[in-house]
Amino acid sequence: MEIVVLLKQVPATESYIGIADDGVSIKTDDIKWVINPYDEYAVEEALRIKEAHGGTVTILSVGPQKATETIRTALAMGADQGILVNDPTIATRDGLSIARILAAVLKSIPFDLIIAGQRAIDDDNFLVGTAVAELLGIPNISLIIKEDIADGKIKCHRTIEGGTVVIESPLPALITTQRGLNEPRYASLPGIMKAKKKPLDVKTIMDIELDRAQETASVTRIVALKLPSERKGGRIIQGDSARAKAAELVRLLREEAKVL
Amino acid sequence: MTLSVIEKGADLKGLDIESRQMVVDTVRQLRKRLLTKEKILEFDKNEIFPEKEIREMLGPDIGLQLLFIPEAYGGMGGGARDCCTVTCEMARICLGIATAFFAIQLGSDPLMVGGTEEQKNKWLGKIAEGNTLVAYAVTEAGAGSNLAAIRTKADPVLNDSGQIIGYKINGTKQFISTGGYADFITLLANTPEGPAFFIVEKGTKGFIQGKGEEKHGIRASNTSPLSFADVFVPVENLIGGVPGNGLKQANQVFGYTRLMVASMALGGGKAVLDIVIPYSQERIQFGSPLSEKQGYTHKLIVPHTVRLEAASTYIDEVAERLDSGEEDLQVEGSIAKLFATEVANRAADDAMQALGGYGYISEYEVEKIKRDIKITCIYEGTSEIQQNIISTFRWKTTRKTKGEYYQSIRSEMEKIDATLSDAGCRFYALSAGALNDIIMQVHDRRLTRKQYIMFAMADMMTYVEVGASMARRAKILTETGSPEAEKIRCMSRIFANEVAQLVAQNALKILLGSGEFDHKTVSDWMEKISYTQLAFSHQNVVNDMDWVADILFER
Ligand SMILES: Cc1cc2nc3c(=O)[nH]c(=O)nc-3n(C[C@H](O)[C@H](O)[C@H](O)COP(=O)(O)OP(=O)(O)OC[C@H]3O[C@@H](n4cnc5c(N)ncnc54)[C@H](O)[C@@H]3O)c2cc1C
Repeated sequence: MEIVVLLKQVPATESYIGIADDGVSIKTDDIKWVINPYDEYAVEEALRIKEAHGGTVTILSVGPQKATETIRTALAMGADQGILVNDPTIATRDGLSIARILAAVLKSIPFDLIIAGQRAIDDDNFLVGTAVAELLGIPNISLIIKEDIADGKIKCHRTIEGGTVVIESPLPALITTQRGLNEPRYASLPGIMKAKKKPLDVKTIMDIELDRAQETASVTRIVALKLPSERKGGRIIQGDSARAKAAELVRLLREEAKVL
Repeated sequence: MTLSVIEKGADLKGLDIESRQMVVDTVRQLRKRLLTKEKILEFDKNEIFPEKEIREMLGPDIGLQLLFIPEAYGGMGGGARDCCTVTCEMARICLGIATAFFAIQLGSDPLMVGGTEEQKNKWLGKIAEGNTLVAYAVTEAGAGSNLAAIRTKADPVLNDSGQIIGYKINGTKQFISTGGYADFITLLANTPEGPAFFIVEKGTKGFIQGKGEEKHGIRASNTSPLSFADVFVPVENLIGGVPGNGLKQANQVFGYTRLMVASMALGGGKAVLDIVIPYSQERIQFGSPLSEKQGYTHKLIVPHTVRLEAASTYIDEVAERLDSGEEDLQVEGSIAKLFATEVANRAADDAMQALGGYGYISEYEVEKIKRDIKITCIYEGTSEIQQNIISTFRWKTTRKTKGEYYQSIRSEMEKIDATLSDAGCRFYALSAGALNDIIMQVHDRRLTRKQYIMFAMADMMTYVEVGASMARRAKILTETGSPEAEKIRCMSRIFANEVAQLVAQNALKILLGSGEFDHKTVSDWMEKISYTQLAFSHQNVVNDMDWVADILFER
């Protein structure tokens, strides 16, 4: 089983995020970078499938040179090899553009199953995995919480309002992960030692045979980034009795907050 | 020390930065899963030694102990920088659990420095394999700071032809970390030829691993007495194969192990900052966040942040020197331990204050960390023992080099100051000069016999050397265009003020306190060392603290 995991390096959720001077990107000086958490589920699931069915796990990423660090972490978890398309301009590419680059690389390597995160937590596009499946012309099952592979087919579970839906598709296919799919393993110290010796191929956009150069151009662009408005201090309602306070609360909700 | 070693960065022992960072990330993950805040608080509250969790950390899925084991014995071959960084991160999660991890390292050290190849293969190999808890058993009821007073005995056992086939051990040990759970211990006991280290395995007849003590802090760590009644150990378990080298082996590793305790204290210090900084931003009193109240921040948070940064800088420098192959860094180990543990302890105390009533409530974790950190000022040699070592050795070095030791720091600081005028180096230089002079005065008047005076000097030496390290870092960061450079220069200015003030104060404490000098002599001396210049170190320090606060509180 040849499994490819699409992996993106994103700012850690605990990083302090500030907007850069250009108004459309974030400041990156003090950011700690990690594997996109949904992609971490993807790596774990790929490793479990490999453990059960044999095969290899390849990590594929588009990003700046620095993204080799997160690929290495996935290799330390147990993946076999990595490919980075080194693209310093990733921050300005839209989801479709990134999907086109990924699909172009995928066309040149073998795969039976592709696993991607449902979205990257930095720009919350919910788009790349599905677009890659479309570009490759293979089935896509998104937001899975469980999968089984047998007889060349994959059967996936997804939570829907009030229940679970079970979906089956032939392989090759692309699936995207949902929280609850698994608990990713640690990058163990023996794993970290081995990761140094695993192959990590760094390509540039030039190396990829795209049909037409403009195919990777973004079709959307970010025009503004805004931080959430600052939380204002709370207000304690005064009153002689619980009844009076409740009345005042209702009045404020109706007249000031206008939510009732 | 030579700066070129640091700048080159070549041929240093240990992991590449990327691998080290991955290990750090794995440790941070522990806090999210295996060692969550809830669990840590529970271990503390109920005095639980989390054997299962610790063994999991030593198991195949994590394998943390591999960090310090040399590659030849199946480990990762981490250096001092790696071990310091990772130990610090573990302590940031829980100092009690970090202690259990540290005990394995400590217990391995006699093997690392003194073991035969066979012994290393066997016992380090066992640790590398995982699932092995180790303890280091030295302290006794009558022998704490003074190890030479141990009474546990190891009597040779001879065979019929008069050859030593083993030793019979009798005695008791006290306060042994992980003592109640260890799968094997390294034990210091007296042979007829002098103290020696032995390996004793769990379950050996006559070896009793006692019940854990109830403790003030690091309650997740087990601290047990051990007793030995005619315990037979085969001669293969005598570390190094030759009796009598135990104290030498113990001393040999102090440069390293004390640096580790310094890193643990630093981890605890960082843990309280991790809590107190966001807390002060969110807590509103009198209509605005606490972090906007200058008296509060500049009393309870900013100075501690600066001192912990200085501690971190010094620990990194010493670790790098160890990794570059320097030996005999015992005094540096003592300085690191004394400084880092004392500043972390004060930082934790003030962090409790900074949380007000919440600081006193268990759920907020600060009071737990405060209780934990205190042990770092006690074990692996108390602060007072470090003061003893630092003052005695640096005094002797100063005499032997005819003052060149601190003079060279002074010149180095003057030289940095010539190109980097805003890192406080002028005051580091003045302080080193004044210290040098004081050591000479103390020596000439034979005041070295007064321990209080020696301790006052130890503190001066410590601050001057840590300060110099801060200046070197400011220089390197500035030269390499690091985004951190400006911050570290500012912190270095603030710390230079602390150094200058401590030196000025302790100098008078010594000169006037000793009663040996008349006022005229002291006045002349103050003139000579530019005492008034030292006082100017306060210049602009309030604004510098404002600036550090701006960075800390992201405003
Ligand atoms: C939780 C915990 C874990 C420990 N873990 C271990 C372990 O794993 N292995 C191990 O072998 N030991 C361990 N110890 C022992 C620890 O290292 C000793 O307690 C410590 O070295 C101090 O020794 P002591 O308790 O006998 O105090 P003492 O030596 O009696 O000291 C008491 C006081 O006198 C001061 N003092 C002592 N000598 C001098 C002097 N010459 N000049 C001035 N002041 C002096 C000390 O600084 C201290 O303030 C542990 C202790 C604790 C509490």
